[in-house]
Amino acid sequence: MAVVEFKGKKFEVDEDGFLQRFDDWNPEWVEYVKESEGIKELTDNHQKVIEFLQDYYKKNGIAPMVRILSKVTGFKLKEIYELFPSGPGKGACKMAGLPKPTGCV
Amino acid sequence: MAFISSGYNPEKPMENRITDIGPRHFEEFLPPVIKKNKGTWAYHEILEPGVLLHVADSGDKVYTVRCGAARLMTITHIREICDIADKFCGGHLRFTTRNNIEFMVTTEDEAKALKKELNGRKFSGGSYKFPVGGTGAGVTNIVHTQGWVHCHTPATDASGTVKATMDAVFEEFTSMRLPAPVRIAMACCLNMCGAVHCSDIAILGIHRKPPMIDHEHLDNMCEVPLAVAACPTGAIRPTKTEWQGKQVNTVAVKEERCMFCGNCYTMCPSMPLSDKEGDGIAIMVGGKISNRITRPAFSKVVVPFIPNEPPRWPTMTKVITQILDAYSKGARKYERLGDWANRIGWERFFEVCGLEFSHHLIDDFRDPAYYTWRQTTQFKF
Repeated sequence: MAVVEFKGKKFEVDEDGFLQRFDDWNPEWVEYVKESEGIKELTDNHQKVIEFLQDYYKKNGIAPMVRILSKVTGFKLKEIYELFPSGPGKGACKMAGLPKPTGCV
Repeated sequence: MAFISSGYNPEKPMENRITDIGPRHFEEFLPPVIKKNKGTWAYHEILEPGVLLHVADSGDKVYTVRCGAARLMTITHIREICDIADKFCGGHLRFTTRNNIEFMVTTEDEAKALKKELNGRKFSGGSYKFPVGGTGAGVTNIVHTQGWVHCHTPATDASGTVKATMDAVFEEFTSMRLPAPVRIAMACCLNMCGAVHCSDIAILGIHRKPPMIDHEHLDNMCEVPLAVAACPTGAIRPTKTEWQGKQVNTVAVKEERCMFCGNCYTMCPSMPLSDKEGDGIAIMVGGKISNRITRPAFSKVVVPFIPNEPPRWPTMTKVITQILDAYSKGARKYERLGDWANRIGWERFFEVCGLEFSHHLIDDFRDPAYYTWRQTTQFKF
């Protein structure tokens, strides 16, 4: 597995650029990923989505369904795509350090 | 090769981005005779294997020449298809829902010439590039999946098994001598992408061993509750285990409850289960999707396991030809394979096909299994 270095921090990632370990997440990771996910400037709204994903993952062991993400954060799916152009899975979950989505995706 | 930009600017990914335009409208690609007579077709007939004639109210005729295709094809091959369409069909062609290719012309002479041309083209290995057929009561193309070419959950290969099967039943592709059409479908795992659950004969990749569990990475790679919920028999439960002196969250599989479906691997990369000797093929028969005479039906498992024998799968093709021969001898006109088996009774089906009946074939999945058992004294010795 590849290891990337950013601002003195090391991250172990897979071929799709997802973190190998949720525990390795830190704020630098978001800084590092945002460019490849088409995000110029991180806003409070980005932060709100990332924080909710992390809380939900810690509490439940899974990523929330899209409808739960929308309902709790108050962002419609369209707004989530405006924040994260790659979408809630490939964009937001990757930045939040959650495991890569699985199934027939 | 050195990088050549398409004009996309990775600095501004959302600039000049075109989305949600959908597919091209099909009318843009209709041959003139189809466009003109759309919605006014009077009748059709099959002139010979692979050649159809449709006649419109206006008297216009269109001849369709259908030929087989491997589905998985190169751009070189597609270009050759385009060349043929340019030469004979004014640049028009279409693909069928079973991945055959259809060329349309307006006179019978053109259709004859086209059939001759198509049957004359071969690959350097000797295979027909465009074998004409697939119409009427024969065996048409096999609907199949990705297999070892591209997927990560297969228990067998798709393109390989399909080529071996079509070689074995090629005569039936180019003729129309069966009681009714026989649809063969193939899926490389029991996700059953495609049509195996509703085909006359179905080839299905299956596993026979429970998943291995990568305790070291499972908690990091997988969302444990999803792996637990993926199991149709409740064989998976979350647990903690010791890994190199550390407590890790992971799952445990109750192996006697596991039936090797592989759903947990789909959800969780740390639970791989493919196995060279364990994996193989199950054969199902008797499904259909049309409403003609009898209702649509699911296919039923009749052979629980055939080993993978790449590259030609001889045991599998032998079983399929056995079933096909018995059906073509025994069934009445218009009778689909499932209709025939239901009429003669499944005990007779196993007898005439020379198949062994084992306990694997008896349904044991939840309450509905009961309805598949025989609750009558009516049977044949």
